[in-house]
Amino acid sequence: MDHTSTLEQVIRGVLITCVLVFFLFPIFWIVLMSFQTNETILRIPPSIVFEPTLSNYSALITGRLESAAGNLDIAFMKNLWNSFFLSASSVLIALVLGIPAAYAFARFRFRLGEDIAFTLLSFRFAPPLLVLLPLSLYFKQLGLTNTYIGLIWVYQLICLPLILWIVRGYFEDISPDIEHAYRISGNSWLKTFWKIAVPLAKPGIAAAGLLAFIFAWNNFVFALILASADKQPVTVGALAFVTASGIQYGQIAAAIVLSIAPTLALALYAQRYLVEGLSLGAVKG
Amino acid sequence: MSSELVLQNVDKIYGAGTVHAVKDLSFTVKPGEITALLGSSGCGKTSTLRMIAGFETVTNGAIALDGRAIHELAPAQRGVAMAFETYSLYPPLTLAENISFALKAQKLPSADVDKRVKAMAEMLEIGDVLHKYPSSVSGGQQQRASLGRALVRKAGLYLLDEPMGQLEPQLRAVLRGRIKHYLREHHCTTILVTHDQTEANALADRIAVMEGGVLQQYATPAELKVRPANLFVGTFIGEPPMNVLPVRVKDNGQTIDFVLEGSDGQVLSYAAQDFPDAVRRRLKNDDGLVLGVRPHAVHIGKKGLMARVVTCQWLGDQTHIAAEIAGRTVVSVSHEQIKAAPGSSLFLRIAPQDLHIFAADSGAAIAHGAELA
Amino acid sequence: MPHLELASISKSFKSNKVLDDISLAADAGEIVVIFGPSGTGKTVLLRLIAGVEEPTAGTISIDDQDMADVAPEHRDVGMAFQNFALFPHFDAFENIATPLRARAQSAAQIKEGVARVAKLLKIDHVLSHAPRQLSNGQKQRTALARALASSPKLLLLDDPLRNVDAKLRFEMRLELPRLLREAKSTVLYVTQDYKEAMALADRIAVLAHGKFVQVATPEEIYRHPATVNVARLFGDPTINLVETVVGEGATIDLAGETVEIDKAYAGLKGRSVTFGVRPEAVALGDGAGLKAQVMAVTPLNERTVLLLQTKGGAELLASLPSSSPAIPKAESEVTISFNPIGSHLFDRETGATHAKGRA
Repeated sequence: MDHTSTLEQVIRGVLITCVLVFFLFPIFWIVLMSFQTNETILRIPPSIVFEPTLSNYSALITGRLESAAGNLDIAFMKNLWNSFFLSASSVLIALVLGIPAAYAFARFRFRLGEDIAFTLLSFRFAPPLLVLLPLSLYFKQLGLTNTYIGLIWVYQLICLPLILWIVRGYFEDISPDIEHAYRISGNSWLKTFWKIAVPLAKPGIAAAGLLAFIFAWNNFVFALILASADKQPVTVGALAFVTASGIQYGQIAAAIVLSIAPTLALALYAQRYLVEGLSLGAVKG
Repeated sequence: MSSELVLQNVDKIYGAGTVHAVKDLSFTVKPGEITALLGSSGCGKTSTLRMIAGFETVTNGAIALDGRAIHELAPAQRGVAMAFETYSLYPPLTLAENISFALKAQKLPSADVDKRVKAMAEMLEIGDVLHKYPSSVSGGQQQRASLGRALVRKAGLYLLDEPMGQLEPQLRAVLRGRIKHYLREHHCTTILVTHDQTEANALADRIAVMEGGVLQQYATPAELKVRPANLFVGTFIGEPPMNVLPVRVKDNGQTIDFVLEGSDGQVLSYAAQDFPDAVRRRLKNDDGLVLGVRPHAVHIGKKGLMARVVTCQWLGDQTHIAAEIAGRTVVSVSHEQIKAAPGSSLFLRIAPQDLHIFAADSGAAIAHGAELA
Repeated sequence: MPHLELASISKSFKSNKVLDDISLAADAGEIVVIFGPSGTGKTVLLRLIAGVEEPTAGTISIDDQDMADVAPEHRDVGMAFQNFALFPHFDAFENIATPLRARAQSAAQIKEGVARVAKLLKIDHVLSHAPRQLSNGQKQRTALARALASSPKLLLLDDPLRNVDAKLRFEMRLELPRLLREAKSTVLYVTQDYKEAMALADRIAVLAHGKFVQVATPEEIYRHPATVNVARLFGDPTINLVETVVGEGATIDLAGETVEIDKAYAGLKGRSVTFGVRPEAVALGDGAGLKAQVMAVTPLNERTVLLLQTKGGAELLASLPSSSPAIPKAESEVTISFNPIGSHLFDRETGATHAKGRA
């Protein structure tokens, strides 16, 4: 029947609250930490009553960290820019390469087609550390270590499979008749791809692009091994707060808040596309 | 065994009063009667069926089977057998096991069960696939098995939801005949839900035409054709559909003239004595009317309304001619093979007793033939 | 010279042979209906002609030019799809304008061209709507308008009325002949509704198991079906079929009773046949002759169908005009005879029709 009893509603409410607390508490706590000094953070027992300070944020933005042990220069803003630049260019290149490939995999049956598609996906299964050692040797030889190009190249391992598989599912959902109709109307296949297939797969492309961006943004290991300070993204940059004289919890918290803010904003903005992309395209592919 | 079903002022409201799916519905199905709920999608027929079966609560009103209020009972306690539109066969059971499922649950002797399943399968032409599983037979065969599972039970009321939608066209006519004969012979009280009027007409004793959650008319198929309650029923029932001509009426004492709207004075003219006084009194005051004429009542002859042939299509056992008058298309059905070239002219004749007269504003029927509605 | 010519076309998907060496020629302006049950390869055939699929063997020529190396966009065909295949991100106007834009016409020409077909199909008031805002009937008309817009010489219509309701289908069936006449195109029309086929076709090509079983006018196909299968596919209700043996004179055995049939079959004594009689050719009367009981009376549109059972248990359907005064009641007894027009004998082995008057 279409009614739910009061008991059911109560149980449902309790369960939802539990889940929310479980997932949101860490974020809530980090936001609180970012407004505290190390002393108040480490106080026992912990308390949510404190005098808020913006010193963590100002240190990050000015690039000067003043701690009990002395002054330290940090390149957090540079890291933030690196993150943005690396993620955005990687996604862009992955889209340019991935969309036509996804279309080919969706529309044409060719020899080894399924195997190639699966191999590309399998890059996502392998632990990154497995490929890193040989890769870092190659990169040294090729002079790609600590270059943006090298990092963007490696980031394709993250972005390309994702885009390929999600967008492929979307292309497969478009009835071939729609494309046939456009061609029979007198248009070349290239025009059909541009005017029909790509616009109709737009939600999938947007979802895949966003996911790839977030995954690239959150990457840690590749940049840790293959780049030094001036090319590192925020995920690695935050390590700088683990100093010889102690861990700067306040600054780490502020750095986390600053670094998740863009992706969080993006994700919230595109929530609809994301859910659709994950459930539709990915599952079908 | 057969029971009487009574629906009394039944309402179904979904959500927080947002969707009023069934409005104040009352009708009675007599013992052994076959009733069809007919309407397009969203007319409330499926909600009604689900309320009778017990899958949906009744917002207001009561449903009684043989005087026993059943709308508060759980579905299993209602004594109702149902065939689902989506078949809902049990996948791990063969068709034979599916059909015999309820009989076995009743602990009937197995020889008896086998006999009944076999007879049912023969009637529905699935005897040769009884040992197969639902997933390995065609949609039409699944539908027939689902129908068999419902009919083989002894129940007070049989509910059939779109029972023949997937049937192979070549089998349809024979199966309709056999199922109707079976329901008659076993005196089964039956409700059939369908959007297909061909099916409703073929099987039902009476048809409840629904639209917008409201019962439009509840009558025999013949009655619906001859005396539709309003313009909706008139145009909804009948295939090819009823011809519709908006007219203005002029009664000059000698003749009654129906002037076609949008024409340069083309007139359907009848002698005044063709219509009884009661009808004439109603028509005099009415300016705008809508005339309805069944396609088989539009005769082609040497005299009458001149029309231009648009299409002439022979379908083997009947000819459909579409002709244009005053910018409207009038369809004539004839049971002979007729040849008429598109663009040529012909004359259409409509007898006064074949006219359905509706009010232009409300659509309510005023007169059928020469009788007041 | 035929406008469209298919010569020995075959099409296989992996090991599945969908079309098997079929040939067909259509004259300019002719309406040829490709008729067959679902899954017989009708749509595949249209796709081959449109060029979005390639034949495994055989040649397709339009105006005597081999189409093998001509891309779909250069074949000058218009096509309407069963699922409409409208461009969801274009409004109705842009959908219809697509073939005109591809032919690089000026804005004014495009506007005029769209307006012309939109008016013809009575959708001029919804041109600014997106496909999802259109009713099913309007979608179907938009799809037809798009196919007609560039006045292509060859029109391929793939069961365009399949996905609209019965009332609209009937309306369009009456309207289509005029539209197609005005378009002056050669038309290949695919359907699995025999009424649509009979109503629209100059010629019907019946497709079964990858081959054309019969290509003829509607009248020829209905009156003189080439095989028992063709007879079964045309007619509602379906033709009555009884397996039997021809007896002395022109008689057959019908569930134990000897029944007279068309005298023209006198020469077939002893043959194993399938006797077929169309329901409208089963005549009812009273008096002497073959007796049958009326099991059920089921009205069917403008006609009434009776399920009859003979004493021997043979089931027959009879169809009468609903307006006829003598429709018997259920459970009553009638005498039946078979009208020679509408009675056929088919070979039981091959299914081929026995010609009347010959052995």
